[in-house]
Amino acid sequence: MLRKSNVMLLAVILTLAVVLAACGNNNNNNAASSEAPASSKPAESQAASSDAPSAPAAADLKEVTLSLTFPGTSPKDEKKVEEAINAYLKDKINAKIDLNLIDWGQWDNKINLAIAGREPMDILFTAAWNGHANNVAKGAFLAVNDPNGKYGNLLEKYGQGILETLPPAYLEGAKISGLNYAVPTSKELAEQGGIIYRSDIAEELGLTAQLDAAKTIKDLEPILAVVKEKRPDLTAIHMRDGENFNSHYFAKYDHLGDGQIDGVIMKTGTETAVKARYDFPVYKETLAVTRDFFQKGYINEDAATSQVQPQDALKAGNTFMGVFSLKPGKDAEVANATGLQGKLKQVYMTERTVSTGETAGSMLGITTTSANPERAMMFINLLHTDKALNNLLNFGIEGEHYTLSGEVMSPTDNTPNYAIGSSWMFGNQFLNYVWNTEAPDKWEQFKAFNEGAKNSPALGFTFNAESVSSQASVLNNIRKEYDPGLDTGSIDPAKADDFIKKMNDNGLKEIIAEKQKQLDEFLASK
Amino acid sequence: MEQASTAATQPHVKVKKEKALNQGYWQKYGVFYLMMAPALIILLINNYLPMLGTLIAFKHITYESRSFFENFMNGEWVGMKNFDPLFKTSDAWRITRNTVGYNVVFIVLNLIIGVGFALMLNLMRSKFQAKIHQTVMFLPFFLSWVILAYLVYGFLSPLGVLNKTIFPAFGIETITFYQDTKWWPLILPLINTWKGIAYYAVIYLAAIIGIDKEYYEAATIDGASRSRQVWSITLPLIRPVIIVMTMLQIGRIFFSDFGLFYNITRNSGSIYETTQVIDTYVYQGFLVSGNIGLSSAAGFYQAVVGFVLVLLSNFVVRRISKDDALF
Amino acid sequence: MSAIATKKKERDVLAISNKSNFIINTFFWFYTAMCIIPVLLLISVSFSDEQNIRVNGYKFWPEQFSLEAYKFLVKDWTPIVESYGISIFVTVVGTITALTVMALYAYPISRRDFKHRNIFSFIMFFTVLFGGGLVPFYLMYAQILGWRNEIYVLMVPMFVQGFFVLLIRTFFSNSIPTELLESAKIDGAGEMRTFFGIVLPLSLPVLASVGLLCTLNYWNDWFLSLLFITQDGPRTITFRMLEALLNIQALTANSNVYSALMAANPKFQMPGETARMAMAIVGVGPIIFAYPFFQRFFITGLTVGAVKG
Repeated sequence: MLRKSNVMLLAVILTLAVVLAACGNNNNNNAASSEAPASSKPAESQAASSDAPSAPAAADLKEVTLSLTFPGTSPKDEKKVEEAINAYLKDKINAKIDLNLIDWGQWDNKINLAIAGREPMDILFTAAWNGHANNVAKGAFLAVNDPNGKYGNLLEKYGQGILETLPPAYLEGAKISGLNYAVPTSKELAEQGGIIYRSDIAEELGLTAQLDAAKTIKDLEPILAVVKEKRPDLTAIHMRDGENFNSHYFAKYDHLGDGQIDGVIMKTGTETAVKARYDFPVYKETLAVTRDFFQKGYINEDAATSQVQPQDALKAGNTFMGVFSLKPGKDAEVANATGLQGKLKQVYMTERTVSTGETAGSMLGITTTSANPERAMMFINLLHTDKALNNLLNFGIEGEHYTLSGEVMSPTDNTPNYAIGSSWMFGNQFLNYVWNTEAPDKWEQFKAFNEGAKNSPALGFTFNAESVSSQASVLNNIRKEYDPGLDTGSIDPAKADDFIKKMNDNGLKEIIAEKQKQLDEFLASK
Repeated sequence: MEQASTAATQPHVKVKKEKALNQGYWQKYGVFYLMMAPALIILLINNYLPMLGTLIAFKHITYESRSFFENFMNGEWVGMKNFDPLFKTSDAWRITRNTVGYNVVFIVLNLIIGVGFALMLNLMRSKFQAKIHQTVMFLPFFLSWVILAYLVYGFLSPLGVLNKTIFPAFGIETITFYQDTKWWPLILPLINTWKGIAYYAVIYLAAIIGIDKEYYEAATIDGASRSRQVWSITLPLIRPVIIVMTMLQIGRIFFSDFGLFYNITRNSGSIYETTQVIDTYVYQGFLVSGNIGLSSAAGFYQAVVGFVLVLLSNFVVRRISKDDALF
Repeated sequence: MSAIATKKKERDVLAISNKSNFIINTFFWFYTAMCIIPVLLLISVSFSDEQNIRVNGYKFWPEQFSLEAYKFLVKDWTPIVESYGISIFVTVVGTITALTVMALYAYPISRRDFKHRNIFSFIMFFTVLFGGGLVPFYLMYAQILGWRNEIYVLMVPMFVQGFFVLLIRTFFSNSIPTELLESAKIDGAGEMRTFFGIVLPLSLPVLASVGLLCTLNYWNDWFLSLLFITQDGPRTITFRMLEALLNIQALTANSNVYSALMAANPKFQMPGETARMAMAIVGVGPIIFAYPFFQRFFITGLTVGAVKG
């Protein structure tokens, strides 16, 4: 049917298509290639000149802009603090920083899009519970200590400060197939689940003593009942997917890596047999209690679909209590981020444990889209070693966002304009100043907290999901269908039977078998 | 489209004169290509280049390189492996059932209620009142799914009017709609029809108004009852419009209104059994699970089956009544 | 008087009985109410007291009247005004460009003497039938064009929609007399001049109708924002409403306005539920007021579009 001229036309259009496509790509390639030599040249000279861990002379480095992407809400004074950081970095590593905060509720989606869309990012927050292993398998992160990598062993070359200050257990625990794909944050290592509540309201209702004595989630029942009765305008306890009594830090499941793939052992136990969460008694017990709470109206009724983090729920002022992974001074940290200074208190409710997940519980990775990985590593190195920079990033400008006396900060009127509440994400948290509302010996407490914690039997092991990735993504879809409803008590716990059946039908057994195999090998080699 | 095909069979121009004529042709019609250029470029970006992207469904993509294009070229061909999670589980069946099932219900409702409303609006004596009703009916049509999600939430949420005001009055217990699968096959058609019905009603009404009054007058003289007139005059005369409107919807039977299934359900996982459609599945796979292979595979499945279904339905209509076929 | 009476009598031949008319009228008043009541509910909640709502649920009439939600929004009004600006810009520029681009394409393929009209019609028509899907579409804009967080990405994807182009083409070929075009040619007018001077002015009904649909699509769009916009990007009012619906915290950002409120009142509670609804009212306001006006054009335009393509 097509006449000759029509064929010609089609050909022209197709050629145009190819040319356009090529143009699009050229742009990217050009951008990459024009920047790459600029950044690699000083890097080489620096590496050649000395192996000393001293910061390279800033004058040798061409100015670059690094983006730092992490979850949180954009603070009002973001620009101001960025400028202050840039001025500070000018003489150190001659880099500018572009802070890129993404709302918690949107974080997973936007990061998936950014990775798939090859968005040019440099430093990206990542964590074992946030799909790190999965993203590494996709090739989203550069290995930071791969001597054969494109940029060499970045950690050796530009991260000497990290190697000196970060306890080796962190890097060891966060390894995937022998390499690190992100630099863990030096913070508390142990974790302990619990709740944070509004102490002012508890005082009012006369619940303080009862709360401080609460040991199990069942102990909370009478307390929540009182809150519900006397303050019906409040949400007695806020929950959402991932922040509830059945989350890994509360029920103590060790997912052996990616927290979204079922097949766990208990962090608190000695058993190393991998089983579905469903097969541990704690699972159903927790679901039953949570369901009871939900039906009695203690839990926010939109818990299953809520995108509100417990911290934000407290901030809104209509929540009595939230579920948190605790550490010493977490209550004061949250209070400072929410403007509720002196109105929050925490209650530990679980055993204190350490598992691989915690070593990789907060990390900064360098993405494969980064045009300046060397500089990015220098920046991460500074976050681990440079007290001024670390505090500038976390708390803003001294004299404006806080005032300092010794090591202790006091809030100013401007504090809320830069309260990103992310100090556990960046480098070395032990460099942070403390607020005047926090315990002055906070860091001593952290160290004490790390000591004497129960080690998970699988500490140091990370599951490599590559061989079962297809099953893993199916299970992840199924998980999204059931977990939010079940874990928050929004649906009948009897549905858990459907859940486990569906997972068994779709490859859970293969995943558990694979996890077991890898774990046994790890244990045997220990 | 039909006129187009007659144009294609114009007599051929003689070879000898072709060159001279071609010069005239470009002088005369060259500007047409210029006029079409902007749209062609957009089509290329929006539609034709992404069509090449469907090949992602057959590749294992990793992100070693900064450029997606390179990643794509380096990706390993994996055949149908990306389709495994879709077809080896119940997922494919569920999302296909929901997509097609809801669409069938929507089409039927739009047809019956749309024509019904049009007939009634036409019969209404006060044209002024008919105008008011038409105008108000359009309100939901003009609102975005985001606003409708607010409205629906106002009714269905645990604090909503149904649970806090209406149900207690009748002694009905609280229903957690956003966690309960069984209500959605009722809620979704209701909302979809509520939002879209004005559009269909007005189109059918326009067709009805276009019918020559003489038909009815003659029928009245012959003693035909009003309902008889509707059956023997109105409906047959607006049949082409009905068929076109329905065909347009059937052509999209494999595609859903993303806003309806994403916003109105608040993307609540617990009710996926009755609310997840192909579009939301693709979205979920891409954004939430970050599984580009699975998401592309589902998208490819939708595009191909959808395409086949359009051709098929058009073919069927062509067999029944050639004039009413779309192409 | 008698003239009116006879006219009425004439009409009565085709008119329905009083009873049926009453039933139909009642039914439609009922349905009309169903269209308005949900919006009234929204308004009622937005004017209610937060504490009361959280305990007693939403009511069609505020049990305890309160302006807190609006006061709360007004305290931090700049982002809302900004979003309005972005929405208006995207809608106006987007619609005008889209109409121009589509009409320019529709004209040549409506001309029977244009020999490639077939193939170009097909190129357009095929996009209605087959698409690449979400993933390649996203990658095209995000990776190849690199338009994340750019305002263009909210407009360009909707510049050309096959169905609209075919609609305009149908109108051009059915409603513009060929003789008119020929006489213009004899007068020495070029194709461009003919198009802008004769064809477009004659096509106002279809352009108004398609333009209105485009306007709606642009104003109501949130999906493109969901895909391409992060916190630093331009946020339309519709997207802002979606954010507020998903996470009420999106309304507060980290502003000192909010903390000033908390400081002033130690028992401060954010008016979450009510502010969310107030946000919806603020966002939907212009549509409610504008649509009855647009709707008239829309109906005339639609009747054109209903003609087969």
